[in-house]
Amino acid sequence: MAKVRPKKHPPTIDMTAMTDVAFLLLTFFIMTATFKSQEAAEIDTPSSISAIKVPDDNILMISIGNEGEVFFGVDAQPDRIRMLENIAETKGLSFTDEQKKKFSNQASFGFPLAQLKGWLDLPAPEMGTVKQPGIPTDSTGVSELADWVYAARKANSQLRIAIKGDNSAKFPTFKNVLANLQSQNINKFNLITDAEEPPAGWRSDSE
Amino acid sequence: MAEIVESSGGKGKGDGKVRAKKLSTRVDMTPMVDLGFLLITFFMLATTLSKPTSMTLNVPDKQEDKQEQETEPLKASKVLTVFLGRNDDVFLLDGIASNDDKAPEELKKVRFGTELREGIFKAQKRVNSQFEKDADGNLPFVVVIKPTEVSTYKNVVDILDEMAITKTKRYAMVDFLSDSEKELLGDRIKPQPGDQ
Repeated sequence: MAKVRPKKHPPTIDMTAMTDVAFLLLTFFIMTATFKSQEAAEIDTPSSISAIKVPDDNILMISIGNEGEVFFGVDAQPDRIRMLENIAETKGLSFTDEQKKKFSNQASFGFPLAQLKGWLDLPAPEMGTVKQPGIPTDSTGVSELADWVYAARKANSQLRIAIKGDNSAKFPTFKNVLANLQSQNINKFNLITDAEEPPAGWRSDSE
Repeated sequence: MAEIVESSGGKGKGDGKVRAKKLSTRVDMTPMVDLGFLLITFFMLATTLSKPTSMTLNVPDKQEDKQEQETEPLKASKVLTVFLGRNDDVFLLDGIASNDDKAPEELKKVRFGTELREGIFKAQKRVNSQFEKDADGNLPFVVVIKPTEVSTYKNVVDILDEMAITKTKRYAMVDFLSDSEKELLGDRIKPQPGDQ
């Protein structure tokens, strides 16, 4: 007498649904991805309750590192090349195409003009590892920041100025940056901060 | 992995016929899921999801070569002066000038956060109840922010943020310290040998 056995099913888990979810998420992240660009220095920004988002394009970013170094960066690559050409023209320098190309790959930089060429001659992987001294901004001595701002605005007149400072950057550095910008008649700029919750019960007047 | 293939050897029926083994049409999705999640992890780590915000700062024109505009001097009693000192200390001087005799006693040291906010609110309340709105309908309360060379960028942003929180519309950032203010603050605004 043959026993009636229940048919043995292999223990299967249907992975199709999981695949669907995984790829849905993947698609979402690929579509929304804006990659972190290589910054010249790690900058830890203070936070504010301001809810204004930083615009996506046409940004001229002046970063202040924690030791008071000043970095300079423009977001669009064609603008970077034109900016370099402009400053080369005014300062009587010349850059090779190779140097221009390398320069356009850098999101931000912080070198005095005199050292810039030496940095651009380094092989590309080494460029990120070199410690950058910052652009001179001293309002009493040499200041190149104003020249860079001028060159950048000549390359793209739509640029908006954003200042991104580190928490522990000292005020005098910030003051020097402001003085440089004001010497170019720029009186309106954005300070980049992290988002922070306003205190309970606080309402914006504009709402 | 997800599917364990049953062994079917030696269990056939005894009639001796060789039957074609029925192959499953199922595709094992597990490696695909693995890959999917691996890529998700990568993109999640590589993206910046929270965009930074920005606060706008407008500074007055430098007015070089132009005639200095005649403005009415600010009454000390309408002004709260905020000095930003070392180690995130804030010094408040409410309603009196720095060359006043009472200034050293009135100078209050506060920390950022509730203590500072209470100080601002108190001064705001006092000034706005004591004085009337000016001709343009502005509240009379004015804050003068004086960052010193030992204060940090964070202090400046924090105090500007505090202006937004307390809804102080009229404030001015002045990086010039008068002699009497320097004397009043004394060592508290001088760089220490230990500082960088």
